[in-house]
Amino acid sequence: MSEFIQYTLQGLAAGGFYALSALGLAVIFGVLGVVNFSHGACYMLGAVIAAVLLAELSLGFWVALVVVPVVMFGFGVLMERLLVQWLLALDPLYNFLLTFGLTLILVEAVKLRYGVSGLPYEIPAGLGGQVTVGSVNLSVYAIFACVFSVVVCIAVGLLMTRTRIGMIVRAATEDAGRTRALGINVGRWVTPVFGFGIALAGLAGVLAAPTRAITAEMGSNFIIILFAVVVIGGLGSILGAVVAGFLVGLVEAYGVAYAPAYAQIVIFVLMAAVILVRPSGLFGREEVA
Amino acid sequence: MRSRTTTGVSAIAIAATASLALAACGGAGGPQAAAAGGLTDGKVVIGLLNDQSGVYKDLSGPNSKVAIQMAIDDYKAKYGDKAVAKDIEIVTADHQNKADIANSKAQEMYDRQKADIILDVPNSAAALAVATQAKNKKKLYINIGAGTTALTGASCNRYTFHWAYNTAVLARGTAGTITKEGGTSWNIVYPDYAFGQDMNKSFSAEVTKNGGTVGQSIASPFPSDNFATFITKAGEGNPKVIGSMHAGGDLINFVKQFNQSSLKGKVQLAVGLMFITDIHSLGVDQFAGTQFTDAWYWNFDAQNKKWADRFKEKTNTRPSFAHAANYSAAMNYLEAVQEAGTDDADTIVSKLEGKKINDVFLRNGEIRKADHAVTHDVYLAKVKSSAPEEWDYEDIVKTIPAAEAYGAANPACTMG
Amino acid sequence: MSERMSERTDEQSAERTAEWTAERASDAAGGQAATAPSGQPADDAGPALLSVTDLSAWYGEARVLTDVSVTVAPGEVATLVGRNGAGKTTLLRSVMGLHKQVKGAVALDGRDLGRRSPDARARAGIGWVPDDRGIYASLSVEENLLLPPVVHDSAWSMEKVYDHFPVLAERRDFPGTKLSGGEQQMLAMARVLRMGSRLLLLDEPSEGLAPVIVQRIGEIIREIKAQGVGVLLVEQNVTFARSVADRHYLLAQGQVVEHLSNDAFAARESELLTHLGM
Repeated sequence: MSEFIQYTLQGLAAGGFYALSALGLAVIFGVLGVVNFSHGACYMLGAVIAAVLLAELSLGFWVALVVVPVVMFGFGVLMERLLVQWLLALDPLYNFLLTFGLTLILVEAVKLRYGVSGLPYEIPAGLGGQVTVGSVNLSVYAIFACVFSVVVCIAVGLLMTRTRIGMIVRAATEDAGRTRALGINVGRWVTPVFGFGIALAGLAGVLAAPTRAITAEMGSNFIIILFAVVVIGGLGSILGAVVAGFLVGLVEAYGVAYAPAYAQIVIFVLMAAVILVRPSGLFGREEVA
Repeated sequence: MRSRTTTGVSAIAIAATASLALAACGGAGGPQAAAAGGLTDGKVVIGLLNDQSGVYKDLSGPNSKVAIQMAIDDYKAKYGDKAVAKDIEIVTADHQNKADIANSKAQEMYDRQKADIILDVPNSAAALAVATQAKNKKKLYINIGAGTTALTGASCNRYTFHWAYNTAVLARGTAGTITKEGGTSWNIVYPDYAFGQDMNKSFSAEVTKNGGTVGQSIASPFPSDNFATFITKAGEGNPKVIGSMHAGGDLINFVKQFNQSSLKGKVQLAVGLMFITDIHSLGVDQFAGTQFTDAWYWNFDAQNKKWADRFKEKTNTRPSFAHAANYSAAMNYLEAVQEAGTDDADTIVSKLEGKKINDVFLRNGEIRKADHAVTHDVYLAKVKSSAPEEWDYEDIVKTIPAAEAYGAANPACTMG
Repeated sequence: MSERMSERTDEQSAERTAEWTAERASDAAGGQAATAPSGQPADDAGPALLSVTDLSAWYGEARVLTDVSVTVAPGEVATLVGRNGAGKTTLLRSVMGLHKQVKGAVALDGRDLGRRSPDARARAGIGWVPDDRGIYASLSVEENLLLPPVVHDSAWSMEKVYDHFPVLAERRDFPGTKLSGGEQQMLAMARVLRMGSRLLLLDEPSEGLAPVIVQRIGEIIREIKAQGVGVLLVEQNVTFARSVADRHYLLAQGQVVEHLSNDAFAARESELLTHLGM
């Protein structure tokens, strides 16, 4: 039983992290209709920038937690203004391909500058060690990362449900044309929302830095899981991304515990099952024709 | 309208998710060689086929070309006007760690670029593909980067040599030593592909042979970045040692997450395959105390250090064992050409077989005729707790003599 | 069997409409300079709030509106009546700026809206109530009301909205789409009234609603009309259209084929119903 609790806690810890990472993907898709393939690369950039801040400017984890999202927000704004916006009117495939190409460029650029073996990063002081209750234990950092992720998800949730900005984003997510016809300049919100989504990816990257290998390729595998998360949750659904994040974390942990070789396949089996039963995902809107 | 768009996009996301494994792109071609008369084509062409952009780029990658060039320079300096091979060319290609790309690149190198020999080829599946090409084309292949024992076992052939290390050597060095020193109960986590499975087998066999037991062998998906639950599972049954058979980014993920788990300090972590580039990337303190088998270490003695200094001048970094092995393989190949007066593959093979070598990379080295394993002394290394200088990460605990490290020739090899 | 029947009926009525359209068009051409045909109201009833002049619209290659001219004065209700596919909804969308493939002029208060964006048009005072009501599922009833900006000082306050639509007050925290069809229709209308829109584009507000609700919607239209708001109403329910409108534009195959006062419309109701195939 204690093993089961152990795996459940580990699944939740991983799930919180998935939720945070998928959140930005969901927000960007919701408002712009863009499947941002470069989300994994932006996650990687977040971690790399954190490592570079530490190595070259001696700015630690806590500073990175603030600085990196700001930098990545700027990066997202540039990306939207210079590239993404020109393709918004076209088939979504164009922006998908654009962000795919951008991913290759970012990954290669990081390889060129920082090599492929990865960059060192350590657990911030005070977050090392484990918490043990009975026979169950978790690393302090995993608990921190999960709680931090949940707090950010809740903050984004509050932003979305309790503020006028959130109301507009929700309305534009549902139907951008109609929202324009109600006197709201949706275009003005598109750029900051894109930047915000990219900032969230960068934030997830910082959070990953102390516990994962910081390499140019770190986002390449991760984006696959994130896509699974947003497809399970329902593309564009923020609540869906969070719930599916935890679901995927748990399924993965139980998979490892009880069918280790199939741990990652299990996620995609879950994804296939969800798509079969609810093609728009757990929290996707059933579209009215 | 909107509904259609959303469905389309879902389809994209799903398709993307499904096909991402194929997504890694990139392409590289070596400089094109032109054929001419003489020797076999009037010149010697050395093909370097390895990972120039992926996980093994730093381990070997483009800097191996520098190492091979150093061998060419040394050869020319040594023989001057008497050199048989006056015109020596290096062609390189990136196999992206994919066996099919390695296969077609090797074919291209042998046929179109007129390569007389291919060097390196990390990644076992890629190496086996190139070995098959070498056999079919009757051209030389000296493997350095790949660890599979199949190259000197069931898949061995007359034209393929295995220069630096193999998984059995790693197992004898690491699993053998740790088990003998009292780490008798093991749980092993290995990545679920050819190399990982091979490592798992070699390590399990070695632990058992030395009186230890392996409780569980757990396969993890490859690649993976979340090992927390695997580590917990590996801790079940209170083993004395957890063996991680991962490489590259997976290894770094594993060690980082192991260090954050409650097992850190209670269970010994043994790493199957570790390169100095891994220590460099993760930081020496994360690996401090970890024991592993190294084929060569740049700061082991004055001879190594001298060569490493030359290498650093050209690359601004310290060499891995693979760089030194590429140098050694290229140098010995050129010496054989010099001795034979030709680059004809069959003649060179006869010159190489049974040759005893002592050079900067090989100590007490011998190109074993029976299975083409290049046996030599290897080292049990321990990661320092702090680095006196950049790249100075290892203490050599013990030299494992060639005979002990390599054992007897693999009976599975029939040189077919 | 019944499918085939209805097919034939459609064909027949389509033929009839085509004949009728040609006839009317030639009438109009012949009698344009002369006095307006009987029953056609004068267009100079007052300064137009909305004037649409020679508007044509396309979907790709297909032309769906041809030189349509329509006006709405403040405090006036004009309807667009016609069969499905006549181009009524396209006309509303064109006025709103949501349909881009258009030629011709749309002016509000005499000022040409040119290529202004839908949101600029909304802020200029045009309020659109689409035929699906356009209620947001992810917004509560109250958020649906608060979403659009207030664009004119004639805007209804929230008190006034809740006063007029007590059911919305009761359900203010419900997700918008959890309301019944009639409640959603009221919410959609209340939403543009709270903006202070001076011209409402109502797309089939009575569709699919119970008679008692339709009656209530009629009352509201009459009330806002009394406040000087102009309404361009797309309607298939002729009885309802007659009960609220001042004038009627009959659309067939993308053209205005008749322009009738309410009385003339009433007098010819059965003929029109036949011609329109309604």
